[in-house]
Amino acid sequence: MYGVQQPTMTSTTQEHMAGQLAAIIPEAELNSWELEELLDCLNELDSRHQELVLHQISVIWPVSHSLCLAFLEAVQPALECLAADQLAAWVRGILDRYESQGLKEARRFMADLDSHFVCKLRGETGLLLSAIKGRLGLYLRGVAGRPFDLERATQPGTDTVTIFLPRSLAVFSNDQDNFLIYKLLASLQWAFVRGNLYCHEVKDERGLFAKLGPAWQADTDSEVFLDRFFQPFARPELAMAIYHFLHTVRALAFLQQRLPGLMSDSRPYFQLMARNSPPAGTAFLAAEYAELLEQLGAGQPLHLPAGSISRHCQPQRRQDDDQGIFLDTAAIYQAAAKTSPLAPAPDFQGSLTVERAHKRRQARRQEVEQQFIEALSIRILPAVATSREDDAGPETGPDQPQQPDSGANLSLRLPGDQEESRDRDQSAEHPVRHVRLDDESIELDSRLQELGREIMDDLGHLPQLYLDSAAKMAAGRSYEPGLSTSPQEGTPLTGTNLYDEWDFRRQGFRHNWCHLLEKDIQPSGGTFISTTLTEHRGVIKQLKRQFEQMRSHHRFIGRQRDGDDIDLDALTEAVADQRAGLPASERLFIRQLRDERDIAALFLVDMSSSTEGWVGKTIKESLLVMAEAMESLGDRYAIYGFSGMRRTRSEVFRVKEMSEPYGTTVQGRIAALSPKDYTRMGPPIRHFSKLLAGVEARVRLLIILTDGKPEDYDDYKGEYAIEDSRHALIEAKLLGIHPFCITVDHTAHDYISHLFGEVNYLFLDDVKKLPRRLPDIYRILTT
Amino acid sequence: MSSQKIEEHFITTEPYYREQGNELTIALAAFQHKIPLLLKGPTGSGKSRFMQYLAWKLGRPLVTVSCHDDLSTSDLVGRYLIRGGETVWLDGPLTLAVRHGGICYLDEIVEARKDTTVVIHPLADDRRELPIEKKGEILSAPDEFMLALSYNPGYQSVIKDLKPSTRQRFIALELGYPAPDIEAEIVSHEAGVSAEEAERLVRLAEMTRGLEDAGLPEGASTRLLIHAGTLMASGIPPRQACKVTISETLSDDHELVAAVDEMISSLY
Repeated sequence: MYGVQQPTMTSTTQEHMAGQLAAIIPEAELNSWELEELLDCLNELDSRHQELVLHQISVIWPVSHSLCLAFLEAVQPALECLAADQLAAWVRGILDRYESQGLKEARRFMADLDSHFVCKLRGETGLLLSAIKGRLGLYLRGVAGRPFDLERATQPGTDTVTIFLPRSLAVFSNDQDNFLIYKLLASLQWAFVRGNLYCHEVKDERGLFAKLGPAWQADTDSEVFLDRFFQPFARPELAMAIYHFLHTVRALAFLQQRLPGLMSDSRPYFQLMARNSPPAGTAFLAAEYAELLEQLGAGQPLHLPAGSISRHCQPQRRQDDDQGIFLDTAAIYQAAAKTSPLAPAPDFQGSLTVERAHKRRQARRQEVEQQFIEALSIRILPAVATSREDDAGPETGPDQPQQPDSGANLSLRLPGDQEESRDRDQSAEHPVRHVRLDDESIELDSRLQELGREIMDDLGHLPQLYLDSAAKMAAGRSYEPGLSTSPQEGTPLTGTNLYDEWDFRRQGFRHNWCHLLEKDIQPSGGTFISTTLTEHRGVIKQLKRQFEQMRSHHRFIGRQRDGDDIDLDALTEAVADQRAGLPASERLFIRQLRDERDIAALFLVDMSSSTEGWVGKTIKESLLVMAEAMESLGDRYAIYGFSGMRRTRSEVFRVKEMSEPYGTTVQGRIAALSPKDYTRMGPPIRHFSKLLAGVEARVRLLIILTDGKPEDYDDYKGEYAIEDSRHALIEAKLLGIHPFCITVDHTAHDYISHLFGEVNYLFLDDVKKLPRRLPDIYRILTT
Repeated sequence: MSSQKIEEHFITTEPYYREQGNELTIALAAFQHKIPLLLKGPTGSGKSRFMQYLAWKLGRPLVTVSCHDDLSTSDLVGRYLIRGGETVWLDGPLTLAVRHGGICYLDEIVEARKDTTVVIHPLADDRRELPIEKKGEILSAPDEFMLALSYNPGYQSVIKDLKPSTRQRFIALELGYPAPDIEAEIVSHEAGVSAEEAERLVRLAEMTRGLEDAGLPEGASTRLLIHAGTLMASGIPPRQACKVTISETLSDDHELVAAVDEMISSLY
């Protein structure tokens, strides 16, 4: 499989580092797993930081081993905000704190880098990224059409998934203008990503390298294309600066065309940059940057590339010509005076971090591969299942390779010419829409198309391996060693609260398969309740008012036998009917009626251990806010949590029963919710469907809050778990219950529409919004 | 309300409609085979305009009823009125359409109470008849009569959902937002703005539609783009026009409105 081996670190550097560690730390003090952990942490870092951090390890290790491990965890994010020469000062601060106040305080000191270190160091103010992250994130998501994470760092930059921005900006005196710069910086980084700054593959690499010269070899040991390109230059940093400059011009020109408003708003900023930049002098690229700033400040359309260097570039190079940019870089490099210093680039350009982007891309590639295979296997499931029916042979072991008789012969059908579709733009315009299974074409849903497009962008083609893996997975064979798909047979259980489980392979139930236990939660004290109620008091107040309005829904209904007023319409009709010789109606009155909502809702909360930490806290906050709001509405509601391990112990935890009044006990139980074991979704859904079906109400809602896939310790995994949960929901629907799922799982799109049906779920991109959104969702659902 | 005559419901000038796919072919086939039509789609995506165009194309009158929760069966079917000592029967919009072989279009059907909507059941299957209880009359629909419903599946309310017994009588057409180039063409035509301006508005709409996972119930519809374009064509500055027609109408959430405003200011 692609990318299984550690991509960025060869074994030689690992050995080298292990050797260095051994030199710092006496062998007797370090056992093998500790060494491994240290090496792992070091491996996460950029190579240029590794030496620095190794040095700091030698300082901290003799003081405290656990402090050293904590430091290694904290150092990576810290290095985003610290310059290399500030690291030592920071470590001194950590050690001071450790020696005077202990490990806990030292950890706190490390965690809050901003307030404890950076602010004091710089004494700066201005618009904080944290204050505008929400707005900027939404803006960027809309503009880019895909989500980016926003993180703080000393310099703007991107690893193609995250966009790094300064933690605060104080270029202008007012927040509005500073926000504009944030917007510009973020948009520019997006334009870099879109313009393929971190180009990882060019068409015809050999051809390009042949044009560049004999120093360039297509098959060197570096697996990063940009490294292969930059390394042969005598001064790679100069080549990188030229390359980055050319990309900056390209990205800015793209922004001028795509976001003209932003670029014209930013003119004062560019003018300021032009005024503040040092006189052009003889530094390399200085005149070009000055001209660029001048054009931007004047709002002129950029012509590519500007200045005296333009004569080295190919005329009429297309703006999206990746090869051309490399040729131009080399040409400009050749003409450059090799001795002159490099002019500093304007701040907004940010840093070019090839290694970081490469690491991120490797990680993303694996994520996408996983998601694509899983989603595709679900998509092709029915087809494979039918072809399996003819396949009466005995179950084959998981390590059997290709199954010629499995019937899952997948191939890929690309739109148009195969060669053509390798092109980046082509693939964006014509995404993969179909794959072929045997001779049947399977249409991909939008999520799969999106993943397929990402893979095409990344690899240039959709590897057959992905399709094979998906087919194998769908055929019920092992895709990964942990996922044993042949279910272990066992004996049915006896006792109360036994539930059947749906086995999609046999298309039938396993009877009395799961044992469900209802448990109490001991209410806990503590400050959680009061803190949450204070923190969210504004929201709660607003929600209470909203919910009260939903409750006091008075309306006049006409055509009643008695009432407060005469229904003129009905009376006229009655008189007319009488004249026409028809029996006249006696329902002639209007009565004011308070609409009985008559809704019973049950909130079912996933308490699996994957909900640990912030998710757990936010879910508790949301339940509390929700319960407060529900009190002013008067709908009947219950809250339960669920978790468990294996089919013999599926547990549900009672937080509030349907008829139980809300009070300090319920609040205490909400506060006491804590992560438990696994997510076996079927039994609790069946249990509460039964419970809800017994409640007299016009509308019965089952609202499930979860953060991940159904999964248990045993064979309850993958499609088996999804199919069982899905079946349990279908059973619930048949009982007249409306299930609705709210999920925060980032990979949820793959399976969730299959699991919950298209309109019965909502995906939240940010769990922090849950306390606000949950009551909103409830309101929309029930009005 | 139902004092209009059927003649008033004929559409005499060709309404502007830009076909997105093969919806017209399907609707015409449905008409030919006397199968009722169910239009699904987000608000402002052209469902009502499509019905107008279809009615014009077929040369049949279009009787539109905007449904609400107070709509009674009498409102649809008709009632007796007194006029100068006489009782007069007055057809409701549904009866009007059935009697004259028109198209009855029940807009936002899920807003009507469920007991009201059952009246359409015998009309929507192969019986094609409308019982008028008050008159003791059963009206058989002529071949030209067509029933059409519309609703927006985006409102996820469990209370406002169409009963399976209702929806399974229809051919369902999903009218989503048009493809970008088609949408730009529509906006340009309807609002009277240049193709370039229209294309920019569509880009803005796509940006807002990208926020649907982030808490926006629905992105900017084609109708909103036309509103924005119309204001711009009448001389209102683009940023202001987009703010009043798009960002402020999409949400009340400050952060979302601010984010949409930022999108607008990056484009104009």
